[in-house]
Amino acid sequence: MIEELLQERLRTGSISLGELVIRQAEPASYLIRHWQDNQQERKLMVKTEAIAALDIVRYDEQGNYRPLKGAPNLRAGWELRLDSIAEVRQAIDYFYPSAFATWLAYNRSEVTPVDLRQTLTRQTGMYRVTQKLSGSQAEELAGRFCQSRSGCLRTILWTIDGKVPQRYLPRAKFDPQTDQLREHRQANAEDGDAETGPYRIPILCVEACNLFVAEARKIVKVHSK
Amino acid sequence: MVEAQDVYIVPNFISEGYFTAKVIPRELELAGVTTIKDHRTLKYCEPVGNDPRMTDLLLHRAAEVAGDAPPEKTSVVIVAHGTGLNENSAVAAKRQVTAIRDRGIYPEVVAAFMEEEPEISQWANLTTQPYVVVVPFFISDGLHSYQDIPVLLGIQSENSSPASQQEVFRHNPYELHDRKLYYAGAVGTDPMMADIILDTVERFDQEHD
Repeated sequence: MIEELLQERLRTGSISLGELVIRQAEPASYLIRHWQDNQQERKLMVKTEAIAALDIVRYDEQGNYRPLKGAPNLRAGWELRLDSIAEVRQAIDYFYPSAFATWLAYNRSEVTPVDLRQTLTRQTGMYRVTQKLSGSQAEELAGRFCQSRSGCLRTILWTIDGKVPQRYLPRAKFDPQTDQLREHRQANAEDGDAETGPYRIPILCVEACNLFVAEARKIVKVHSK
Repeated sequence: MVEAQDVYIVPNFISEGYFTAKVIPRELELAGVTTIKDHRTLKYCEPVGNDPRMTDLLLHRAAEVAGDAPPEKTSVVIVAHGTGLNENSAVAAKRQVTAIRDRGIYPEVVAAFMEEEPEISQWANLTTQPYVVVVPFFISDGLHSYQDIPVLLGIQSENSSPASQQEVFRHNPYELHDRKLYYAGAVGTDPMMADIILDTVERFDQEHD
């Protein structure tokens, strides 16, 4: 099902997912590239297996570990040439775990965002203390940690205490139709529609991640001293 | 992400503990060993560390790293994390030690720990053979196997850089306390883990049908 939908989508054009551009090159040949390499002719390191994506995502350009796969710091300079839709599905799952499947589920109205308060109330052990995070501390954290410019490219679907956390984040951050890389592309002076309208798939954030929870813990700890 | 009817959940953990007993069931909303959800069956398996083939993997690591050491003159040390919080972590390592001893390949097999007794820093007192093989009973390489354990063994100083830490597996054997010490990488990175995961799934079916 998931693969069939992916294949169908690629038959009609390219896909833009996070920092990736995915397209079908020939009947049984697919290309995945970093968006910065999409139009350029520079020499790219070519890999022909989905598992090569694991090495691409692990470190950023400076060699630092990338714990957050949605961060806008995926390194460029490579190309994945894959010969099956199964490999494409696997590869995009290595780059953005479950992003495509979540998008499909969202379109079937099967996605239920989880309010941050619910996420924090569940925590035990060393993270239990995050229950003390106030609403305004949470908004501040979201504004700093989740912003698309240098934090995370995800589109936020969750709320904080029932409200959309838009005090420090633009409306576009919560809109699945908005390209979260828009500013990056403009800065690179790339013509965003150079290809005939790639199909943009957002990376949806259904619930605050553990990295967010870990940051929340630091804030609560600092404030309790 | 997952489209199958039957879903086996295999904790990639050395032993039962806080994560397998509390966090995973909570986050996956499991009702117990078997959970029916949206017409699917979620089957919660034991951690990979419980699998009988883990013994083979530990032996494989030991043999691989100490190729030229005569087994009859070798002590094997299985080093695990250990913790004052949960006895299961130590129990898993001790169980492996018994299983390895029963194979009769090495004259001496002991368990040692980072955070409980007997401590890995005492390895020279815990062993008597001229060759000593240390195998980390960990799922992945990381701070513990790259840095903490080498420091406790005495094969690395505390101030070594992260880059050089990854070299720690490439300079075997280490000559210390008149012994030859061989230090292996964490077991969880070996290709045999795939067989162990599949075996864990199979054992679930055997035990729950």
